[in-house]
Amino acid sequence: MQTTRRGFLKGVGAAGAVGILGAPAVVRAQARPGVPSDPVKIGVLAARAGITAPVGAAGLRGTEWWRDRVNASGGILGRRVELLVEEETNPKDTVERYRKLVLQEKVDVVVGGISTGVTLALGPAVEELDTPWLAWDGTTQKGVEETLLRPKWAFRSVDNEVEAIVGAILTAKYFKGIKTVIGLGNDYSYGHDCWQSYQAALKRYMPDVQFVQGLFTKLGTTDFTSHVATIQQSKADLLMCSFWSGDAPIVMKQAAAAGLFKSMKGVFTTAGGVHDALKKEFTPEGLLLGYNSMYFEDPKGSPLLKQFVREYQAKHKEYPAYESDHAYFCVESYKAAVEKAYAQSRQWPSKEQVVKALEGIEVESLSGKRAWREDHIMMCNFYQGITTHKNPYDFATIAPVEVVSTRQAMKPAGAKLFDWIAGWKI
Amino acid sequence: MVFGVQRIFNLACGSFYALGAYAGVSAVEWFLRAGGPPGLFVVPLIVAGVAAGALGLVVERGLLRFVYDRDETFQLLLTFALVLMLEDLVRMTWGTAPRSTGGLYLSYGQVRILGATVPVYNLLVIAASVAIALGIGWLLTRTAFGRIIRATADNREMAEALGVDMRTVYAKVFTLGTALGTLGGALVIPATAAMSEMGIELIVEAFAVVVIGGLGSMRGAFVGALIVGVLRALAIAVYQELEMLLIYAIVIAVLVLRPRGLFGGSAA
Repeated sequence: MQTTRRGFLKGVGAAGAVGILGAPAVVRAQARPGVPSDPVKIGVLAARAGITAPVGAAGLRGTEWWRDRVNASGGILGRRVELLVEEETNPKDTVERYRKLVLQEKVDVVVGGISTGVTLALGPAVEELDTPWLAWDGTTQKGVEETLLRPKWAFRSVDNEVEAIVGAILTAKYFKGIKTVIGLGNDYSYGHDCWQSYQAALKRYMPDVQFVQGLFTKLGTTDFTSHVATIQQSKADLLMCSFWSGDAPIVMKQAAAAGLFKSMKGVFTTAGGVHDALKKEFTPEGLLLGYNSMYFEDPKGSPLLKQFVREYQAKHKEYPAYESDHAYFCVESYKAAVEKAYAQSRQWPSKEQVVKALEGIEVESLSGKRAWREDHIMMCNFYQGITTHKNPYDFATIAPVEVVSTRQAMKPAGAKLFDWIAGWKI
Repeated sequence: MVFGVQRIFNLACGSFYALGAYAGVSAVEWFLRAGGPPGLFVVPLIVAGVAAGALGLVVERGLLRFVYDRDETFQLLLTFALVLMLEDLVRMTWGTAPRSTGGLYLSYGQVRILGATVPVYNLLVIAASVAIALGIGWLLTRTAFGRIIRATADNREMAEALGVDMRTVYAKVFTLGTALGTLGGALVIPATAAMSEMGIELIVEAFAVVVIGGLGSMRGAFVGALIVGVLRALAIAVYQELEMLLIYAIVIAVLVLRPRGLFGGSAA
């Protein structure tokens, strides 16, 4: 008999399926009344190329670690968890892949999404597809304002500008003497929004501070010597920088080369996303550095965080950044919501019931307790602190570690950002 | 030089630069892992940068030699395809995360010159660039091979009629051009980090430099680079939104008023 290509591929597919289904579960799945026996399907949108690839990888690794843990302890209500991973690329293609996950793969929930450029487009599409979507890092904000006020299915990440606001609060605490500030960010909404929010928030604490100039470079720039020279010429007391990817260590290196931080304070609100690239040779002590929602070496970190960091380091030879925690929280909160809804109805919950149960739910994530606000926005803590070289690594870490909650640093549901900041009581 | 001799407008020069950068990072990592003294990191860097130039030979013999007689647009498309392919090759080989040589950049220390702090490594690179420029100048004006190159650039048919083997000249010139690009990429890497997009970033700037200076002119390239560099720095300091606009306004002005560029030859 001749083997046709199609027949062969079918055979491979069948063998693969048997392989997956036949894999011995570490803990025998408990048959529960009202719970189907097939696996729970979780769709994952993870960026895999370009500048967001390392962030996407951290999110996916966090999700996979969670899956292995959950499956090893019997799954969700006895159902094994299966991940179906699709790539996050541009808005149009990512929306198509989202549709594919929901309509073709028939997933129970979709997690992921990093770039607000993508998730802003994804939000309205999600609302039409009747399946919960929990975003890792993407929001549905246009600028600093929310576009999807009362979503049914979409759960969005923390507002984009929160780390800039946390940075401003801590600037006022640690750099009391400063009089002039210069800004540096990426030339798209995140960079501009962070600079605007930082200025508005810092003005509330230090009304006399002057903002000299905001410099913006496009993502992926590798030569900042002209920018560093301009910053140096400005003679500002402090540089606020919201770089979050590979450009953060580069600008740090070129700033060190010009001796910039010998005369200047520095605030890097988001560079903790690439923390292990901030080598001691060029990252001075005494800068304010933000790690977003998880600090891998939190002195008050839970045993869960410590175990995660240990196993992540052993497997990937890196120390994890915050995206792992956003991702872990999304899937862990989904599991908790299913179990909460099941406790009431004794039936595997419908997608609507899962959404209901998710609203306001609080779970233990890697970084500690995190929650979904009633209007489907993430609530968590932000970790920033002063850089130090007193650690066993070749990169800078922070001590002391400051923890600021989104309850303090994120605008409440429905509020306009700058009105809200203007109304702070200080 | 490559353009002058071969009449090939090579967009892939940016990719060669990126490739040299990645090769440099890998060589330095390997060198340090093998226990090499960190102070000598420039040695593997330079070796890798020059060695990566061998790719030029492969590209020239494998692809370019088939298109010398075709239209320029065809060459542009071919070398642009090469840009995209090499970018993917870089991603496959080195991954998408930026790669760098860590803190080695500042390991030679810093000195103060005219009130500005400058890393010693930068001075070494400047010295190396001057040496390379002088070396190329010597090669072009003082050696037999240089005379052949200039003759070919001037009049290819005549050079060929006089018995110059074009195949060897083209292969050598293109490989040399590529090696200069990859070496440049390797030398710049300690001060920054290798990213898969860096090739395209360079092309945008190099295009402006070449148009302003004049295609195929070494002096033009030097002056063009100076103009673009100073303009960028000025724009960033004064009004950053103008950075690219200003450079390309000059590009357009040059194209309209002096299409061959400031130093372009009379018969390109």
